Amino acid sequence: MRGGKFIANVLPPVLVLIVVTAAAEGIIRALAVPMFLLPRPSTVLQYMAQHPADLLASLGTTAQAALIGFFASAVIGMILAISLSASSVTRRAFYPYAVFFQTVPIVAIAPLLMIWCGPGLAAVAVSALVVSIFPVIANTLAGLLSTDPALEDLFRLHGAGRWARLWKLKLPSATPHIVTGLRIAAGLAVIGTVVGEFLVGLMGSGEGLGVRIVSAKKLGRTDELFAAVLIASLLGLAMFAAVNLAGRLLLRHWHASEQD
Amino acid sequence: MCKTIALICLSVLLVAGCNRRNAQSLELTLDWKPEPEFGGFYAAQLGGHFTKHGLNVVIKPAGEGADTWQLVATGKTDFATTSADQVLIARRSGADIMTVFAVYQTFPQGIMVHKARGFSSIKDVFTHDGTLLAEDNSWLRLLHKKLGPAKVKIATYSGGIAEFLARPDYSQQCFVTSEPILARHRGSDPQTFLIADEGFNPYTTVVICKADLWRTNPARVRAMVAACREGWRAYLDDPNPANAAMHGLNPDMDLQTFTEAAAAQKPLIQTDKPLGTMTADRWNALADQLVDLGVIDNSIHGQDCFVNP
Repeated sequence: MRGGKFIANVLPPVLVLIVVTAAAEGIIRALAVPMFLLPRPSTVLQYMAQHPADLLASLGTTAQAALIGFFASAVIGMILAISLSASSVTRRAFYPYAVFFQTVPIVAIAPLLMIWCGPGLAAVAVSALVVSIFPVIANTLAGLLSTDPALEDLFRLHGAGRWARLWKLKLPSATPHIVTGLRIAAGLAVIGTVVGEFLVGLMGSGEGLGVRIVSAKKLGRTDELFAAVLIASLLGLAMFAAVNLAGRLLLRHWHASEQD
Repeated sequence: MCKTIALICLSVLLVAGCNRRNAQSLELTLDWKPEPEFGGFYAAQLGGHFTKHGLNVVIKPAGEGADTWQLVATGKTDFATTSADQVLIARRSGADIMTVFAVYQTFPQGIMVHKARGFSSIKDVFTHDGTLLAEDNSWLRLLHKKLGPAKVKIATYSGGIAEFLARPDYSQQCFVTSEPILARHRGSDPQTFLIADEGFNPYTTVVICKADLWRTNPARVRAMVAACREGWRAYLDDPNPANAAMHGLNPDMDLQTFTEAAAAQKPLIQTDKPLGTMTADRWNALADQLVDLGVIDNSIHGQDCFVNP
């Protein structure tokens, strides 16, 4: 039964992938699109098959920075959201500045990142953090503020303190919102990492996917470029799936959004 | 209703206008902003040299983004500037482009270090601690191959000189005509080593067009090259008028910097041969180097990449 369900879930996207890839291959061949504009999927796969060790090393470097950035976003974002939810005065005073994270162009602060953190992992992880923290703050805050007022009254009536209300009522009821924020942050953390690597990444063996993308572009290697982009996308997808799974495990027993 | 229709018509016209180029005019797309490295092209326009040769040339500066050779190969522009190693990479990628004029006879790319470090060559940069900001380019690969494993940390370069100014242990890539002058103006103590001195010397700020244009309309290409040569002659003799014009288009760079850069680049442009001419020996030597570095394969030949119209 479970196997049947798995196939029903996995088969449609895999079929779409195969059809789209085959169509792209056919169209690029038929129109003779030059390699420098768009490589054929087969040449990208061929590149991946020929350089598995290099690409895996790059994936490892990028994944490490993306995971550090993502977990930092999750922890710092939630702490900030809890602080903001504490009183409407702090919220009014500080929330506009949280939006800063949403709008800051990483390229503008790249020199600061490099000077403060030095090039490489730390600077890249901070870039991932800056890019991915806002959805965590915004969604966590929305969740904390939409606690059922009747339940809050009930907790108060039974003499529950501030911390008890936070731990036993507000955070659990905000969990679906938090999971949504983390889902968005998972993809953004990968984007923030790759962009960070464009700007403050370290070159050399095991260089991140972003560094590889820039080099491949400079040297006109579109097969390598698309291979690196594809792997970065898969990393984003894997992180998104992991957050989804965690959300499902947390919520399946009691929340409508994860029951089917 | 009428207003809506009129608006739609207007937008369609605007979009159509964007795509249509005047058949009589030629576009020259630069691979950076108006700076002294393009001075001769602006001088050709100011001095009427394009018009004299029957051409109506529009100069378009560009920034980061698509490589200019891709714009030429796909017919989005008639002429563009790039560097010789990019021409070889372009031809390997299937772009049928031709080089017709070379501004820099010596590669203006260098590595800028703080003088206080007491380095005497690029080898010193590679064999000491610190950080080098550079783009992964053919020349960086050559330096790696030549100088062996680097002790210096190499990080991606995203433009500007902010990091260099802030950190005494940082070195960075530069155009000898640009960043060192800027750094000096900001109170720094830069010292520059040319990549060309390490044996990598591609022609730079070369003018390219579709090889097809050269085959089907060589007169037009000859006219363009003659006008560029006259423009560069005029710029080398007196850069001030073109500098003023470029400063108007690129006010971020002050006139003093324009003047200093124009003086700094002169020996890299002027040789005993006519301005802009190239030799098959140098093109073949560059192609051999790129083959050796694995950047291109040996199906690409240097002598096929250029003409001296």
